[in-house]
Amino acid sequence: MIDTQWPRFMVFQQEAVGKPFIHNGTVHAPDIDMALLNARDVFARRPQAVAMWVVPADAIYTHTREELSNQGARQPADQRIRELADYFVFAKFDKQDQCRHIGEVQADSPQAAMSAAIKEFGSRDPLWWWVFPKSAVLSSAPEEASAMYEPAKAKTFKDQAEYPVVTMMREIRAKKKK
Amino acid sequence: MKQSKALAEYLIALADDELILGHRDSEWTGHAPILEEDIAFANIALDEIGHARLWYELAAGVTGTDKSRYPDQQVYFRPAVDWRCLQLVELPKGDWAFSMLRQYLFDAFESHRLEGVTASKHQPLADVAARIRNEEFYHLRHTRAWVPRLGQGTEESHRRMQAALDELWPYAQGLGAPLPGELELEEMVPHSHSLFMLWSSEVTQFLIEAGLDVPKSGGRVEVDRAVHSEYFPALIADLQEVAQLDAEAQW
Repeated sequence: MIDTQWPRFMVFQQEAVGKPFIHNGTVHAPDIDMALLNARDVFARRPQAVAMWVVPADAIYTHTREELSNQGARQPADQRIRELADYFVFAKFDKQDQCRHIGEVQADSPQAAMSAAIKEFGSRDPLWWWVFPKSAVLSSAPEEASAMYEPAKAKTFKDQAEYPVVTMMREIRAKKKK
Repeated sequence: MKQSKALAEYLIALADDELILGHRDSEWTGHAPILEEDIAFANIALDEIGHARLWYELAAGVTGTDKSRYPDQQVYFRPAVDWRCLQLVELPKGDWAFSMLRQYLFDAFESHRLEGVTASKHQPLADVAARIRNEEFYHLRHTRAWVPRLGQGTEESHRRMQAALDELWPYAQGLGAPLPGELELEEMVPHSHSLFMLWSSEVTQFLIEAGLDVPKSGGRVEVDRAVHSEYFPALIADLQEVAQLDAEAQW
């Protein structure tokens, strides 16, 4: 069978200006521009957002606390020095928590970025680590934020349990029978 | 007095377009080609129905009717012959290409209309238009992202888009006809014909860039909003069925 599934993108969202970006879930999309639109649809309502990032899932380099204590950090296969790039460092500290932005490092490979992140933030001992290059991120445009995210805030919503549809339909049917 | 009647007619036509388009869009809920698009289109459907409510409420204000009951009365208890939507929005949802292209054509026009109405001297009208416009920005972004991807995607997606355009184009010409009441609302609302000229050159260029052949002529055009398509009575029957089981039910 041919795999017709679209690529996966990680969605990060900022709830208020100045707050850290937090991982909120994943979307599928044919490309990264569509991923940002899909992210808005799937995740912008609750909690509220002022900005979003999408990142191709395969651009994210990960380690768990368990992996690090069992094997240590993996080293790049290729030891040649490449150009330095900026990496975002994300970490999850608690099972209930989401992976959140904790800082940035410069490195010449994802593995080196991970090592640098562990060196700098390792004392906080997260459950898992994510690093990805800044260049892999597509961010929502600040000038579009109001149109993309504001309307969701004004929308009231009712929990489905508040709609007595089943009871109502039963009463209506009973009335019709009489 | 005469003007408020014209304004009410104008607002109801705006509301009817939004409500029926939202209803057709909502038919994709649970059936869209991929989960993310299912959510996206359900969002758009809800937005359109929400915009219809805003216009109906404004119409209630103009006619001095109870604002809290008026939208439901209009939607659930008005006979099909009294609706004033365009046939463009009545057409069955078709395939994904058809619904996406219809949404694009409609929203591209609406964005011009809302820009005009936002500048209206009639403040309540301008305020509602401004509020709707902020949400429509996103709709247009969404459909403008999809139309070229489908138009230039695979052979099949191109074929479906072209077929959708050929079918929709004559109906879309109806956007250029004045809305009910429009001619009596000089300087309060934009002229549909001027908006249509803007829309026409904009979407033609966009569709060509999306790899589609824009039909040379509009074909047969039904511009009278009192004349509905063959599909409309069934749509209204479906829409009103549950509410009419018991008009006094408290939902």
